[in-house]
Amino acid sequence: MYLTVRNVTKRYGPFTALDDVSISIEKGEFVCLLGPSGCGKTTLLRLIAGLTDIDEGEVLLEDQSLLGLPARKRGFGIVFQSYSLFPNMTVAANIGYGLKIRNVPSDQISARVRDLLEMVKLPQLADKLPGQLSGGQQQRIALARAIAVDPRALLLDEPLSALDAKVRAELRGEIRQLQRALGIPTLMVTHDQEEALELADKIICMNHGTVVQTGTPEELYNHPVTRFVADFMGRSNIIPTDRIRAVLPDLMAHRPDGPEDAYSACIRPEEITITAAPAGTQTVRSIGFLGNLRRIETDGPLGPVLVETHGQAKCNEGDAVTLEIPAQACTWVRNDPAGPVA
Amino acid sequence: MPTRQATPATAHTKRGLDGDRVLTAFCVGLPVLGLLLFFLYPMAIVFLRSITVADGTYGLGNYGEVLASKGFWRATWHSMAMGGGTTVLSVLLGFVIAHGLHRCAFRGKWLIRAAIVLPLLAPSLVQALGLIFLLGRNGLVNRFFGLEMDIYGFWGLLIANTLYALPQAVMIIGAALVLLDARTYEAAEIMGASPSRQFRDLTLPAVRLGLLNAAFVVFTITITDFGNAAVIGGDYSVLATEIYSQVVGQRNFNMGAVVGIMLLLPTVASYAIERQAMKRQKGQQGTNSQPFVPQFTPVRDLPMAAINFLIAVLIAAVIAIVVFASFVRLWPYNFELTTRHYNITLAGGYGSLWMTIVISLMAAAGGTLAVFLLGLGLRRVPSALAQPLQVLAAMPAAVPGMVLGLAYILTFNSTATPLYLLYGTAALIAIINFYHYHTQAFLTLQTGFRQLPPALEEAAGSLGAGLGKVAVNVVAPFIAPMLVSVFFFLFMRSMVTLSAVVFLTTPKLNVAAVTIMRLDDAGLTSQAAAFSTVVMAVVCAALIGMKAVLAVMGRGQTRPAKG
Repeated sequence: MYLTVRNVTKRYGPFTALDDVSISIEKGEFVCLLGPSGCGKTTLLRLIAGLTDIDEGEVLLEDQSLLGLPARKRGFGIVFQSYSLFPNMTVAANIGYGLKIRNVPSDQISARVRDLLEMVKLPQLADKLPGQLSGGQQQRIALARAIAVDPRALLLDEPLSALDAKVRAELRGEIRQLQRALGIPTLMVTHDQEEALELADKIICMNHGTVVQTGTPEELYNHPVTRFVADFMGRSNIIPTDRIRAVLPDLMAHRPDGPEDAYSACIRPEEITITAAPAGTQTVRSIGFLGNLRRIETDGPLGPVLVETHGQAKCNEGDAVTLEIPAQACTWVRNDPAGPVA
Repeated sequence: MPTRQATPATAHTKRGLDGDRVLTAFCVGLPVLGLLLFFLYPMAIVFLRSITVADGTYGLGNYGEVLASKGFWRATWHSMAMGGGTTVLSVLLGFVIAHGLHRCAFRGKWLIRAAIVLPLLAPSLVQALGLIFLLGRNGLVNRFFGLEMDIYGFWGLLIANTLYALPQAVMIIGAALVLLDARTYEAAEIMGASPSRQFRDLTLPAVRLGLLNAAFVVFTITITDFGNAAVIGGDYSVLATEIYSQVVGQRNFNMGAVVGIMLLLPTVASYAIERQAMKRQKGQQGTNSQPFVPQFTPVRDLPMAAINFLIAVLIAAVIAIVVFASFVRLWPYNFELTTRHYNITLAGGYGSLWMTIVISLMAAAGGTLAVFLLGLGLRRVPSALAQPLQVLAAMPAAVPGMVLGLAYILTFNSTATPLYLLYGTAALIAIINFYHYHTQAFLTLQTGFRQLPPALEEAAGSLGAGLGKVAVNVVAPFIAPMLVSVFFFLFMRSMVTLSAVVFLTTPKLNVAAVTIMRLDDAGLTSQAAAFSTVVMAVVCAALIGMKAVLAVMGRGQTRPAKG
């Protein structure tokens, strides 16, 4: 364990932002904190950074407690959603600021700044002020500034959320490359599941101030443990037990024991094979065209079921269809006590 | 081609469009006509009078005479020294208070905010009155400690001006401090910067423009203020009192005009620089920035709280002592409480108070309507026309009240034009008050207009609403809080202003601030204090009224929080 958060609780008045949360990050690992707004993920990041006080629990870095150590002595690098470059300093001065504070000789600083600017592919911007840069450029500079001091860990607080889609996709790839190349342990907060899936070695999915599930992107997507995770990690069909028993009894085989409403079946829309057949029990309600995909909404004894196919749909609106669902495509998820969260 | 326009539908649209054009022309035309007639024209007259020599021809003789006079150079030197001294003191203390309010954590900040507002509620000569009660020959301090300190002159005026200008400095510097994002500080913190380093590398550069801006505003306020200089300046003549003595004392209007133009130069220069600085500051403002929330740090916060409260107490004490003195039987010999000073018979009694309230209501209502029409119209005219008009609308702030007042008396007390009919009417005083504060009213409303999404007006327009309907149903409700603020701002300023109106009052038509000055001149200091107290009570009531109206409006408009 490189960075460990153990049994941390944080309250704001009567509101519990974090409730007995424990997480860990290995050396060189890229971890995403994923969850809806208000789930406590940003609070957790700020606690680790030292920007917010902890009520209970501890934060350890290489087995040393960080409690009581002010943020400026923890040796992390941070990137915020709002860029937060120093508006009165040039790009070069921004990147070199951490080194200047550490009293690094100025010729070494300028060499390091030059390397970093190359690394984020913006060598021509050294003498510009932040106000003259685009959002994507500012965030690249913020990233360079954060890694300039060889931080012990990189903390990213929704770094891509303020950018438009194209820039976001570009920068996502660069963050991944950079992190791999430098091997800096990284913790990123995001509410975007696609971002988490692409970037993370490990995803920590949070809701209501608690960790719901931790695992690789594949584990979280293919084997969500709760209905919340299934909903949050992309589209899925959540079908109650009684309908599965009535229509697809084969899938009941590996359902965990428990009351009728404790578990539902989670089936990803792309795992379903749809065939037009007069004897079929589901009916096609609508077919949506999404370029490379067709999104087919069906209804019938299974309830509303969404199917995604590549290429031309092999059915029309109003057709009777059969749905073929392989046993391994069905995951039984716990129905969260708090109910589904959109 | 003409056949195309013959269809009824197009004809209808075209007529609607023309109606809107006429309305737009009216919206822009009326306020602009006002600016031409009541601002540019009088300013041109004052300039012409300054170059009109004794035999009625034009020449620079007056300037030569003024520049050769010792009195002018002494007053100029005094004005500059006073402006400089007040600026240094106000910006320094203003920074301390603004930093305390926005960057430190301690309780009771509302008390400091309240104290800071006080000087804005009173005529500028109230600071001077308060200082005289406190530090004057018969003041509490001299009496109590048996001293013979003389407060009249440089030091008294310096303190009075500083107390008067401080609120403005605090507001401007505070606005600059608020701009900087909390995340920026957190980024610096994580990079290892200590609090003192953050102050040096982030806070100071961020407020540099704010400090500069505050310095220019304070300097301008100080060299153009008349009230405090008239009451506590003593023999320390400054340019504002020099104009007054030229015009009222020696009936020498042309020389007064020369001194007025001389006073205009530094204020125009400082106003121009200030506007440039403000533009640069705006460029720095980021989107979605997080407000800075200071954590309690005893080493920093306890001394800062102490200094803040000390300054606040000083500001409040100088005003409180005026209120107190107004109830004292015979200052400083008999401290028995009485209301006899409120029985004011001299200088027209309370007649001028009611007159001032009527004038202030006129200035507020007419002025709010005028800047609303102008703002509405400017959105609809080509920017080639809108930009110069915006510059014109922002110009009056550069003109000292004394100079504007002088320009008015030269323009309206002349039978050359029908405008003479306005002379000696309450309407003219309402008009000068509005144009004196035109810039602030206009800019306040412009910030409201800037927040109004054009799509809102376009949506209403595409639903068939003409400009009149859009203005009443869409624009006015949206910027209603700004309209309320502008109305009360104009009312409160008109209640207390002295410099612009001092030339326009007549024995029959007097206003509150001038009455206070006359009472003080006549040696009736306690009655002057009583009258000041009544004026402050009216302005306080207006301020509370404004807060109440805004609170009620805010409650009706609360939107559900995002996300």
